[in-house]
Amino acid sequence: MISEVLLSTVRMATPLIFLALAELYSQRAGLVHIGLEGLAAIGSLVGFLVSLITGSPMLGVVAGAAAGILTNMIFAYATITLCAEQIVYGMAINIFAPALAAFIYRVYFGAGSELVQVGLMSTLSQSLGIQSDNFIVQLFLDQTPMVYLAYILVIVTVIYFNRTKSGLNYKAVGEYPKAAATLGINVIGVKYVASILCGALAGMGGAYLTTCYANTYVDGNVAGRGFIALAAVIFGRWTGGGVLLACLFFGFCDALQIRLQVGSFGIPYQFFQMIPYVATIVVLALLGMKKAGPKGVGKAYLPEER
Amino acid sequence: MKHTNRIVNLLVPVVSVLLSFVIGCIIMAALGANPATALQSLWIGAFGTMRNVGTTLSRATPLIFTALCACFAYRCGVFNLGGEGQFLMGAIVSCVISTQLGITGLPAIILCLIAGALAGGIWALIAGVLRVFRGQNEMIISIMLNYVATLFMGVIYTNWLRDGSVPQTVAVPDETQLSRLGDLRATTAFILALVVGLLVYYFLFHTSKGFQLRAVGLNMTAAQFNGFAVKKFILMSFIVSGAIAGLGGSADLLGTQFRLINGYGSGYGFDGVAMALIAQLHPIAAIVVAIFFAALRVGSTTMQAATGVPTSVSDIIQALVIVFTVAGLAMVKLPQFRAVIDRMATKSVQKKEAV
Amino acid sequence: MEELLRMEHITKKFGDVYANRNINLDVRKGEVHTLLGENGAGKSTLMNVLFGLYQPTEGTIYLHGKPVRIESPAQAVKLGIGMVHQHFMLVEAMTVFENIILGDRNTKGIFINHDARKKEILELSERYGLDVELDKPITDIAVGAQQRVEILKALYRGADLLVLDEPSAALTDQEVEGLFDIMHKLTSEGKSIIFISHKMREVLHISDRITILRAGETVCTLNRGDTTGEELANLMIGRELTPSHYEKIENPGEAVVALENVDYDKNSKHNGLNGVTLTVGRGEIVGIAGVDGNGQSQLAQVVTGVLTPDAGRVDLKGSHVAQFTPNGFILESVSHIPEDRNKMGLIGNMSVRDNIVLKSTDTPQFSAAHGLFLKKKAIRDYALKMQEKYDIRCSSIDQEARNLSGGNQQKIILARELEGKPDLLVAVHPTRGLDIGATRFVHDTMIEARDRGCGVLLISADFDEILEVSDRIVVMFEGQVMGVFSGKNPPIADISLAMAGK
Repeated sequence: MISEVLLSTVRMATPLIFLALAELYSQRAGLVHIGLEGLAAIGSLVGFLVSLITGSPMLGVVAGAAAGILTNMIFAYATITLCAEQIVYGMAINIFAPALAAFIYRVYFGAGSELVQVGLMSTLSQSLGIQSDNFIVQLFLDQTPMVYLAYILVIVTVIYFNRTKSGLNYKAVGEYPKAAATLGINVIGVKYVASILCGALAGMGGAYLTTCYANTYVDGNVAGRGFIALAAVIFGRWTGGGVLLACLFFGFCDALQIRLQVGSFGIPYQFFQMIPYVATIVVLALLGMKKAGPKGVGKAYLPEER
Repeated sequence: MKHTNRIVNLLVPVVSVLLSFVIGCIIMAALGANPATALQSLWIGAFGTMRNVGTTLSRATPLIFTALCACFAYRCGVFNLGGEGQFLMGAIVSCVISTQLGITGLPAIILCLIAGALAGGIWALIAGVLRVFRGQNEMIISIMLNYVATLFMGVIYTNWLRDGSVPQTVAVPDETQLSRLGDLRATTAFILALVVGLLVYYFLFHTSKGFQLRAVGLNMTAAQFNGFAVKKFILMSFIVSGAIAGLGGSADLLGTQFRLINGYGSGYGFDGVAMALIAQLHPIAAIVVAIFFAALRVGSTTMQAATGVPTSVSDIIQALVIVFTVAGLAMVKLPQFRAVIDRMATKSVQKKEAV
Repeated sequence: MEELLRMEHITKKFGDVYANRNINLDVRKGEVHTLLGENGAGKSTLMNVLFGLYQPTEGTIYLHGKPVRIESPAQAVKLGIGMVHQHFMLVEAMTVFENIILGDRNTKGIFINHDARKKEILELSERYGLDVELDKPITDIAVGAQQRVEILKALYRGADLLVLDEPSAALTDQEVEGLFDIMHKLTSEGKSIIFISHKMREVLHISDRITILRAGETVCTLNRGDTTGEELANLMIGRELTPSHYEKIENPGEAVVALENVDYDKNSKHNGLNGVTLTVGRGEIVGIAGVDGNGQSQLAQVVTGVLTPDAGRVDLKGSHVAQFTPNGFILESVSHIPEDRNKMGLIGNMSVRDNIVLKSTDTPQFSAAHGLFLKKKAIRDYALKMQEKYDIRCSSIDQEARNLSGGNQQKIILARELEGKPDLLVAVHPTRGLDIGATRFVHDTMIEARDRGCGVLLISADFDEILEVSDRIVVMFEGQVMGVFSGKNPPIADISLAMAGK
């Protein structure tokens, strides 16, 4: 049972890792993004469609990332160039992107169509032809490439922000854009790059849901993961490693609730489903007042202020 | 000066709506429908007959409540994104009271409405307390509470108050349902929504506390330095905005919905936020926007039947309105743009003076 | 001496307003060239043009005799121009080392080579006597050290010309001495410095040449040896310096506010109070002198109820204060002109009218039935009256307060805070960023309040302002009261020493 929950934890944490990294890259450049839920929705739909059409879940993920980037360019233009309030615009994306996803689905499949299913990405052990009930083998080999990618991205992120010159400049943009600009760092450019990264990662996180996790698309399948990822970034203190741990924790909560539903004990299953959401609230409440995170987050940057 | 500001602030949503419709029409045309026919059937569906008007108003009612909830909270600088959860808690409590306590009629209605408002207020207060005393991000908390409320409603309709084999609750007794407005499908819940809207408007713009609440929302530090009890205002705005949403849930349940079922209330909270933002947090404008959104939704069904354009086109139009309005409002605040407006304003003033 | 920089006929317009008009400036290799001028004389604009933040409307910049276009700070840095802004451009969450190498383009590779970079920085810091601790986060080092980091940052980028924008404003006297040593070392190694200041003593001490700006135009350039402080002051202001001396009061009335051994976060040198004992009597102005960031902000916030002290006793009009809330103090007729008018004083997005009545909408004058009905007409009439009385210049009282100039914003606050006839007025940097006329207005208003019997606690980093209006001068250093001096014939030397913590 424990091994089952742990395996499930890895599966449940993966989309969160993509989404939380998306938020991390956005916030590190000073852009708080509460529209991940929407980006993931469109990524999930496009990922589903492309993997259905091409038969390749991998292409689905790539397309999901592209869709995430495109959608996030709206956010980027509005908040970076037009200086719209980031929170408000994130909200707009949360309304727009899922509506767009639902629309495309209806148009493509027609109203009242049957649930369309798609083949999932094969795991490494499937590709290698290994079959084993061994827990360790399952944990490390019976995973889709997306899982490995998520962990590689975490490591890359940690190295990027702590060891590279570019990462240092990137962080400066989120902390004190004006100072960064006087040092010749292209603040607007970094913010746009951040939005591209954020869109791609969030789109991939969404696409994971329809190419690796469930074999079909339904409206609302992101189910608050975009917001939990936001909490994971806060919980993870804006560092790659912290975010990973936070995502694993929330993934574990999700895995636990799925496992508990099976045992049920006569308790309505919805109470178990509440666990990840309640855990998020409790974690944030326990975290308390400590203020942290990039100082320039949420503020628009106007190059020539006067 | 003030005059031009007002015109610009009104122009932005109007232009956004037009733009969204243009894009909507392009989509319709791309789907092979005649946009003119589609728009016409959309209009007929929403306002063509008294019956349709009634449907539109009844669909608008819950949206008005959640939009007012958002208006009230944001005016105090509180990002309550939990309108949906607060709405549902109001509906849940009213459902329990109206079907389980054995009282019916007006006393039951009044009890339901009060309890619904209380439930919404308390649900919102959870986020409020965590924000004020634990410094936490109220957006995430209130959204998480939405999911919890939705799941809790699930417990009610699949388990506790399940109506036989169907996953839904028993219906509100006939005597406890809100009466209809003449022959319309809309009920007194709509009137209640209008009254709440007027009250919110009066409070915000004609009372001292409302004035102070807006000051808190615009600049918390200055409000604190000027002696306002900022924390109290914030907590109060959580409670009141939650209560408005809860009252909405209660009224909608007694007026139109009657039973809790899967998917009820889904999206109402975020819709409310969107409408409040388009209305620029003005409660009366929020009512208008809510009716507009409801009309799009109701009319789109007729449009689908008549022209085959899927109803989700209207969702796209609504979403575009918010995307354009918020961007537009930001754009007109940009210094470059401000300069242009100011110049135009001075020119027109000079012209008038010259005349 | 060889010419390094020449700015010719520089003009910069914002809309219809000239910020710079036909300015000429030349800087030689190895000299300290001072830009002297009042607030708003155009110094910052000129430097922002030099640093590529603004494009000049007209005029040419020559470096080493060749015309250059400077389109961005990055380009300015490439051309060897380094700027130390008055408000440091340091990322607080990062270490000294990270701040210095930030944005670095001179080295190859993707990764940060800590050892090599640190060696380079240490060489520089030894050469110019810029002592810094590389691995400390910026938040943990003193203001003087932060300034050294800024200078190192510029030198690390190969600056030949350093612009120091009011570098001494936030420093203690001792730190200023250190800064001057560094400046000497820099010029002796062939670097040039543009020094921006309006402190006459410093200017005469450190400059080789001085260019005076007034109202956006160059007045003249002088050699230090050929001029005197009086001449400079007159050139800067454009008229004879005739300080209007207000009459100083020596026998104030009973205490309006009395602090006894008040502590607030007392281990913090820059943001705390340590055993402060102080009284302000009726009808006197007590001026708190001291370099910014020695606990003045906290003092102001304790005596207005924003902060609750950790220890000690505060008496307001003879009665012990048990609970500290801004509202409690307002009810006791304490008025507050806060240090940051936009952040703390005004609701920028509300109208001039709303800001004037901000505190009093609960009163029967402006609302009926305990605030349930606002009397809009009464509010409007009152606001119009105040607009006239305090000479608030705005297009209408419906204009948003944030769109007004600093002086007019301050007048809104004055109207609001003084019309209620307070018993205690706490004024923090009340004239910061204001022009001479507005400053005079604020001073007159404070004196008027004093003569009416109001106790005034004036906190200002502008020593001249303290000398001008204070009846008593209290010096604060690192959260402590260093001494109390009479405002009549104040012992300036002693006060200066006290301000430096001696």
